[in-house]
Amino acid sequence: MDYFLQNLINALQWGSFYAVISIGYSMVYGVLMVFNFAHGDIFMLGTYIGFAIATLFIAVFSALLPTWVIFAAVVIITMFLASWIGVFVEVVGYRPLRQAPRASAAITGLMIGIIFETGILIFLGAKRLSFPPLMESHVYNIGGVYFTNIKVMVIVISLILMLALHGLIQKTKWGMAMRAMSFDFLAVPLMGVSINIIAPLTFAIGAGLASVAGILYGQAYPILDPYMGVLIGWKAFVAAILGGRGSIKGAAMAGYLLGFIEIFVAMVFPSTFRDLIAYSIILLILTYRPRGFFGMEYSTKLRL
Amino acid sequence: MRKIAFLLVVAVAFVMVFAFSGCGDRETVIKVGINAPLTGDIPKVGEGTKYAAQMWLEDIEKAGGLEVGGKKYKVELVIEDNESKSDSAVKANTKMITQDDVLVIVGPQSSAQAVPAGEVANNYKTTMISPWSTNPATTLDRPYVFRGCFLDPFQGPVVANFIIEEFGFTKAAVLYDVASDYPKGLAEVFKAAWEKKNGAGSIVAYESFTTKDTDFSSQLTKIKRSGAQVLFTPQYYNEVPLIVKQAKDLGWTGPIVGSDSWGSAETVELCGEPCYGQFFSSHYAAAGAKGATKEFIDRYNKAHGYIPDDVAALTWDALRLAQQAIENAGELTGKIETDRTAVRDALAKVKDFAGITGNMTFTEEGDPIKCAVIVKINDKGEYEFYKSVCP
Amino acid sequence: MEIARKFKNTFSMVPMFGWLSGALAAVLVEYFLGYNYISLVLGLPKIPVLFGTLIMLKTPIMIPSVLAYDLIVYIIPVLTVAKLTAPATNKIAGSLEKIPIWLSTIIHLVLFYGIMHLWAGINDYRLLVLKLTMVSIILTISINVINGYQGEFSCSHPGFMAVGAYVASILTLVLFVNDKMFGQALLPAELGPWLFPFILIAGGAVAALSSLIVAIPSFRTRGDYLAIISLAFMFIVKSAIENMNFIGGARGMSSQPDYASLPVIFCWTILTIWIVHNFVTSIMGKALNAVRDDEAASESMTVKTKKTKIIAFMFGAFWAGVAGGLFAHILRFINPGTFSIQRLAEILAMVYFGGLNSIIGSIVGAVSISLLGEALRPLELFKWIIIPLILIFVMIYRPYGLISFKEINVKKLFRSKNK
Repeated sequence: MDYFLQNLINALQWGSFYAVISIGYSMVYGVLMVFNFAHGDIFMLGTYIGFAIATLFIAVFSALLPTWVIFAAVVIITMFLASWIGVFVEVVGYRPLRQAPRASAAITGLMIGIIFETGILIFLGAKRLSFPPLMESHVYNIGGVYFTNIKVMVIVISLILMLALHGLIQKTKWGMAMRAMSFDFLAVPLMGVSINIIAPLTFAIGAGLASVAGILYGQAYPILDPYMGVLIGWKAFVAAILGGRGSIKGAAMAGYLLGFIEIFVAMVFPSTFRDLIAYSIILLILTYRPRGFFGMEYSTKLRL
Repeated sequence: MRKIAFLLVVAVAFVMVFAFSGCGDRETVIKVGINAPLTGDIPKVGEGTKYAAQMWLEDIEKAGGLEVGGKKYKVELVIEDNESKSDSAVKANTKMITQDDVLVIVGPQSSAQAVPAGEVANNYKTTMISPWSTNPATTLDRPYVFRGCFLDPFQGPVVANFIIEEFGFTKAAVLYDVASDYPKGLAEVFKAAWEKKNGAGSIVAYESFTTKDTDFSSQLTKIKRSGAQVLFTPQYYNEVPLIVKQAKDLGWTGPIVGSDSWGSAETVELCGEPCYGQFFSSHYAAAGAKGATKEFIDRYNKAHGYIPDDVAALTWDALRLAQQAIENAGELTGKIETDRTAVRDALAKVKDFAGITGNMTFTEEGDPIKCAVIVKINDKGEYEFYKSVCP
Repeated sequence: MEIARKFKNTFSMVPMFGWLSGALAAVLVEYFLGYNYISLVLGLPKIPVLFGTLIMLKTPIMIPSVLAYDLIVYIIPVLTVAKLTAPATNKIAGSLEKIPIWLSTIIHLVLFYGIMHLWAGINDYRLLVLKLTMVSIILTISINVINGYQGEFSCSHPGFMAVGAYVASILTLVLFVNDKMFGQALLPAELGPWLFPFILIAGGAVAALSSLIVAIPSFRTRGDYLAIISLAFMFIVKSAIENMNFIGGARGMSSQPDYASLPVIFCWTILTIWIVHNFVTSIMGKALNAVRDDEAASESMTVKTKKTKIIAFMFGAFWAGVAGGLFAHILRFINPGTFSIQRLAEILAMVYFGGLNSIIGSIVGAVSISLLGEALRPLELFKWIIIPLILIFVMIYRPYGLISFKEINVKKLFRSKNK
């Protein structure tokens, strides 16, 4: 039992990252119908920004302010800065290609991602960085189940973020505009909602979320390297589409599902076969639920 | 038409004037190829290789070139990036051999690239020294391929025996990267060596993950449940800190033992306190080094601001080996094919070469007979010499 | 502008045959005079590969010499021979028009192959680059069938390539090579090169069969699920091979026999172009385009949409498998890591750069990305800033790729320019 509970906590932590990152994917996908292949690298860049801000704050304010204030400040400032990366990617890579085939926009995204990776490598060199701990780590043991305060924090903050985003999308005017846009992006601009505002906003929110995920990631897996976003980005892409188009709830659930599958497959089967079995399960899920979890029907005809 | 002809003539004349200034007979330059992972998964390894090679070149240039058969030759380095990809390593080797006419190649470092690249070097009869590749296949049946380090079949039992002697444990767990050549090979060798001593089933958990994974919690939970007393993880410097930290977070209290891939200076820098007190096998130990080794470490540290890892030291040795082989080759004919073979023969004859990572004599396969060092990470985070095991 | 127009006017009457003769003259000049005379006089250490881009980027002081070399060896011979022989070549082109088109094509191709053979014969690095470029051409054309003509977004090509590469390698190693992995050869090694085409076809066929794993679930409905199913497929193939220790696992397979020589690869590339061209211009290909543009409408026009999609998908996978088999026998080493995300990014870049729905576009894309990747080698890291930037600009200014929606017209290409 404790073995199962231990892995449940492991899976919740790991799934949280997939969930938060794939939500950013899913929003762009829902509103603009394009794959944002730069998202994994936006996550990477967000983590590096978080690293810079955190290092600065710890150096300057660690004696003056309590830990949680520093933590909150780092999160907010990083989110703000990182959201501009999202805007940048939209304006440079996606806006000129709005009338183009969707795949072409995906390729520009992919290429912007490669530029980010190489840029960091040139700028900071081959050295890997270690994310400074924003709070002291404590290990707790309850009945043989081990967890740290960081694990709990990751899970809780991810849930808060997702709920806040859900509120934003469901309750505010901006959220309504986004939902409308994802329902029919040809008709909505005619109603006076500018796609040139909604699209960057979507990218910015996605990038902001990714950067928070990056800070949490830096606490849980404190090693930064320029290629850290590649694999996690492609996996979040799987989760985003698996969740169904334009469904935040679906993307979050698919993210957790992916985390659970990866952790529990390694628990039950020999871990050598993890990827083989995990992705076969995804293939099976899609065979029987070809529309994903919460996907809606396409209202407008797909472009190429 | 006439205008075009005129323009062409002008262009030719213009270019010729510049070009002829560099005209002259072809001079023989000794070119040494470096095949290193400057980008990709392990850029730090590439950086160490490059810096060591540049230091070596500085020395040569200070001496005014390499003296072979009473004549001084200019030396050039050709540094190629293999992007940590095997096909790119093959391309880089082909390019350096057929286009740049290199005399010797040093690199690639990881076995995943050194095995296929060695095939190319051997086909073209060009000497290649891989400083860091511990996989037996790199030099097997390839007279032109050498290496600067010991082999996995030697290292695995060394670590296994060390753990048994030091701690007296009987149950061990292994965590390795299934998609990467080196950890996988070493994990297998270790398993075999351990089970030979402690009987079948004494490896109680044999878990794996895939390159670029960062979450090992499921595997570590399994390892912990298996009742293993020690964890052996032959991983690279970017994964070790994550594995050690996550193991501690999951309540693992036993020792964690590693292999020579831990040797990078970054391991401790990234890992911090959780890694203190752990052991790993290596080619050399930086803390407390003496003589030429210390000289090299200090010089490197001064130039680049950190203690060189084993890759840099091994690359340095490989280049010095190559240098000695070239000097022993007698004379350079200028015919690259003949010279390459002469260098190869000279290298195979090198006896008791005093390298900074130990003395070396090559076996017939081109593998040096070398001692392994067990290193302890001390309380200051330095790599301290603990024990030396010789074949 | 004036000069450019004049230039165009002067050379507009040179037929393809004339250009080929010019190129032949250029490579002959390089072959006989390149090393001992021209490059020596210009102070170059060696004949520059890839038109000297490598030397120019590494030692900028050599730029004038390299430019002079390119001018003397390539540009002047090509232009003068093409221009001077234009009357003669036009006559030849005219008479070639009278013979059957396939014969004329073969004559052109033989001439073209001769040029490449001489050019690549100068040094083995050129040869390797040329071989890998041709494999990229096959790959890019095969993915264009799926991502261009069929209008899907498939990410599984590295997986198909891996399947083809492994099947072909296993077959050649089992049948013709005495090696450590599979023991004694079953057939005499002399048969190897003759049976190699069948081995490649077998590799392609297995890849095509494996593509059904992706095709059957994803074509139940239209949409982007193909993208993730194919991505999952790629992860599955990689993981499966890593776990098969009898074929080397993560360590990979090596010592494949050297069957993939330049003529063999050239023939396969031409074969791919020809067959895929026929496929996409056939009724099947038209049906494919119809399904892409409007599935419901084409269904109502009696197109069997599901069957069409699955056949096209398998067809694309088949050629990816063949390319994988060739790739394995060029490098003579494969491991599962070779067929992962990085390879996918490369293939996608090639097909979208070159142009969708066009074979000629795919050729352009594959050749430019492969050559750029090699030519910019001396820039090390900055290579990975420049290539993505070029791609972004191409995507912004030509969203469908450089040359899209264009088919090859052999007749028009080879015709005489006598006006």
